[in-house]
Amino acid sequence: MINIFYPWFKLDALSGFIALAIVGFLALILIYSFKFIKGKPKTFQYYVYIILTALAAIGTVFANNLILLLVCWGFLGLTLYLLIIMGNDDASSAAKKTFIIVGGTDALMLFGIGIIYYMTGTFQMDQIKISLSTNYYLLPTLAYLCLAIACFAKAGAMPFHSWIPDCAKSAPIPVVAFLLASLDKLLGIYLLTRISLDIFTMSQAMNIFLMITGAFTIIAGVMMALVQHNMKRLLGYHAVSQVGYMILGIGSGNPIGIAGGIFHMLNNTIYKSCLFLTAGNVEYRTKTSELDKLGGLGKSMPLTYISSLIASLSISGVPPFNGFVSKWMIYQGLISLLGTGNQGLRIIAIFSLAAAMFGSGLTLASFMKLIHAVFLGRKANWQVKEVPWQMWLPCLILAITCVIFGVLAYQIPLKYFIFPVIKGVSFIGTWSALLSTWLIIIGIVLGLLIFKLRWLRPVLRQDNPFTGSETRDIQENKINGTDFYNTIKELPVLALVYKKAQAGLFDIYEQGKNLVFSIGRVLQYLHNGVLPTYLVWTLLGMIGLFWVLLK
Amino acid sequence: MVNIIPFFVIIPLGTAFLISLLGKYVRHFAGIAISLSSAVVLALSISCAVYLSSTADKILVYKIGGWVPPFGISLVLDGLSIFMLVMVSLVSFFVAVYSLSYMERYTDKPKFFTLFSLMVCGMNGIIITGDLFNLFVFLEIASIASYALVAFGTEAEELEASFKYAIMGSVASCFIFIGIAFLYGFTSTLNMADIARVLSVKHSSYVLPFVGTLFLMGFGLKAALVPFHAWLADAHPSAPASISAMLSGILIKTLGVYALIRVFFSIIGSTQAYLSVLMFLGTASLLVAVILALSQWDLKRLLAYHSISQIGYVVLGIGLGTPLGILGGLFHLFNHSIFKSLLFLNSGAIDYCLGTRDLKETSGLAKIMPVTAKTNLIASMSIAGIPPFNGFFSKLIIIFACIQSGHLGYGLCAVIGSILTLASFMKVQKYAFLGRLKDKFKNIKEVPAAMRLSMLALAFICVFGGIMLLMPFRVFLDDAVQAVLRGTHYSSVVFEAVGK
Repeated sequence: MINIFYPWFKLDALSGFIALAIVGFLALILIYSFKFIKGKPKTFQYYVYIILTALAAIGTVFANNLILLLVCWGFLGLTLYLLIIMGNDDASSAAKKTFIIVGGTDALMLFGIGIIYYMTGTFQMDQIKISLSTNYYLLPTLAYLCLAIACFAKAGAMPFHSWIPDCAKSAPIPVVAFLLASLDKLLGIYLLTRISLDIFTMSQAMNIFLMITGAFTIIAGVMMALVQHNMKRLLGYHAVSQVGYMILGIGSGNPIGIAGGIFHMLNNTIYKSCLFLTAGNVEYRTKTSELDKLGGLGKSMPLTYISSLIASLSISGVPPFNGFVSKWMIYQGLISLLGTGNQGLRIIAIFSLAAAMFGSGLTLASFMKLIHAVFLGRKANWQVKEVPWQMWLPCLILAITCVIFGVLAYQIPLKYFIFPVIKGVSFIGTWSALLSTWLIIIGIVLGLLIFKLRWLRPVLRQDNPFTGSETRDIQENKINGTDFYNTIKELPVLALVYKKAQAGLFDIYEQGKNLVFSIGRVLQYLHNGVLPTYLVWTLLGMIGLFWVLLK
Repeated sequence: MVNIIPFFVIIPLGTAFLISLLGKYVRHFAGIAISLSSAVVLALSISCAVYLSSTADKILVYKIGGWVPPFGISLVLDGLSIFMLVMVSLVSFFVAVYSLSYMERYTDKPKFFTLFSLMVCGMNGIIITGDLFNLFVFLEIASIASYALVAFGTEAEELEASFKYAIMGSVASCFIFIGIAFLYGFTSTLNMADIARVLSVKHSSYVLPFVGTLFLMGFGLKAALVPFHAWLADAHPSAPASISAMLSGILIKTLGVYALIRVFFSIIGSTQAYLSVLMFLGTASLLVAVILALSQWDLKRLLAYHSISQIGYVVLGIGLGTPLGILGGLFHLFNHSIFKSLLFLNSGAIDYCLGTRDLKETSGLAKIMPVTAKTNLIASMSIAGIPPFNGFFSKLIIIFACIQSGHLGYGLCAVIGSILTLASFMKVQKYAFLGRLKDKFKNIKEVPAAMRLSMLALAFICVFGGIMLLMPFRVFLDDAVQAVLRGTHYSSVVFEAVGK
């Protein structure tokens, strides 16, 4: 059907399923927004922007013309900006930063497309095939890097990630869930896949570059997430960290790794938007997202709690949820690199594998903190109810999708979405999802039985502690999860790194700002507003011109 | 149709005369006359454009008094002139409408509109004239009107800026004049087409480069290319906002860029050396000025620096000398005139309502001035090159042209300039329109209808400006590019048209 628009638009397996995902998320976010946005100003504008965003996103994935792709892609930056500034009054800084990073990298993308056009003479994407590993590799590599940077910025990989945590904190939650967590990831990784598989033929150096970027993003993102005190910022750093897995998968360069990367992209959008939406639920009721103030909401908001728990387990890669399957595929992709002859590639693969696994553990750790601080832990005086159905339903649907995509991974998502895109995926390990699910369920049930059945467990007694000759309430001593990992902040090397990170040393935006302003100060010093100075410049300029032209 | 051409000068000149004569005595005369005359000029220029694109050789020559060139002065309308003419009349029409309300704050509206009309007359004259000395005369008319307009507020700041502007402008005029004198001495003629004809047979290894340098410097000063740019950042912010819009939007382009193109492409002939210098100056302007703009807090000063930077893009595109580069340069010229005048009109609206244009003072204006905020957002996106607004397409073409002709470094500089432009307009958005509204501004109302109308119309052109690259409108741009690329064949084409 869509091929009547050929060669402008083109439908293939990859763009098809991503467009499907976009539409799905649009539906869920619209349901969620009905309640969330109600009563706020500019409701109409909000819906217009959301729908425009979805249309532009679909245009981006179907575009088969680089200019068309660029126009849709760039337009998304604008709608993102417009949606962020609909947040509170403080959203403007985050919006500014976001648009400078996203829009700025779009300009680089334009440059990359210009080089591609120069080399091939066409904008039609399915006719372009450029090899990065020929002798004449400088220009193609530059073009690839320009496009890859745009993808990194959109998806939020290091070092172009710094807008995500800021934005996650101040933009309206449905916007964060729709754009930051799902659309931008889908599109960024979509384009990265497109350029890495279809438009360019990858060289080993580029694969290594992608793997290092991915591994670094995983570790740095998750380390920052560990020490956050704000729920939304924490999730924002995880949104950064998870991108690392996808890039790692695509960088591995073999079918299983790439399939894992793409599958992880799909899974990530599901559980990450679920997490953001549940964070929105919590904030909707409690009006705060600071972990220090929250706690004990599990009882009063059970559906939100369950959705959030499932999504947390998914993101941490706990079997049998979907995050596990895709991470496991990425690991396999890396492991199969170990068999190759190249020494350097092997070392990088081992390093990235370690980073990925370690990152996965840290993710689990940080989500234990989140779940504990928000839903368990000390009992705060929250007189809250569960959110309205328009808000919990999307979370629940997403959580159930997490389970289905995990348990029935081979039967549904891999079969219909991933394998049509990546041909020739061969697993080197086996994972029988259904069987293991049953085993896990049996295990949990047994555990519960032991815990719950009175005669099987030793007698537990909770009592108020008696210290300093007075009895204290037991609730007072229950700790809030926020400070779980404060010790890592004090480790000698890490302490320095964290300090620098807080000062913005690793933030390309801050560094760029410093550089530009220091040049600006010099120039401002020269522009002192004195007429003779200006005349001297004119004279110097004239001398220069005479020198150049009359030589 | 040929007989319309002199009216592009006659109408504004006549309006200026009438306004200065009757404006004081007849109420509303000045406003009505200026809007009428700019509307008529706009309609005439568009009809001329339509007519010109339907003719075969795309050129119209009017012989003043029936004297055949090189003996008499001729007025030449080719693809490039009509392109500039439409741009100038479009912007001046909307600015005139805007000024109807905006100039209420100043005393003596008739004087303002007299000067305004004189400036338009000067610009139109530069564009349509086919005589080099005539070009100088019109250039002086436009310049002197603009010196007076910059000083229109007659406060210390305005007068100082006007003084500086006048000095620098006179230096520029002086160099241009010396250039013309040398050229006249060498070729014994002042008609542009005839000069080009003589130069094609008579060579000199010294006079031409010398004259070229003088022109480059003179017109470079008028166009505010780095390092001849410093006056602009003082002069443009001090003028009333509608005049800033005219100065930044069209004056520096007509006096600077158009004259540069005319002299270098059509008369002297563009050698690689000139083109390289143009490219270098363009790139230097676009980088230096945007960095300076980033650290400004005065909204109009910030915009003025951006004018320098955007002219850099235009000159870079034209300096490439390839069809694509010139297309990008000219398209950017047009787009810049639209969005930059819109931005200055926005700054005027803020100044009109708040009495300040310091970005540290303003915030949250989107809540009380929705039209200004929206149109400003559109203009900011256009200048920053965000799709699908018009500035995106012209920047895209310029950058592609850089890459296509192998100037990757310049292309990269253009990209960096674009990123920094975006950053600086994000600053404007953040500090002017977003954030918390201050209590003292709570009761301010949006600007009057005439001002809103102009801003909305210009914003509309910004949104749909990309259409110019599509077919029925594309002819307009292509004709202009053809006229530039024709180079020194200009002379034969003009003489052929005269002979008819």
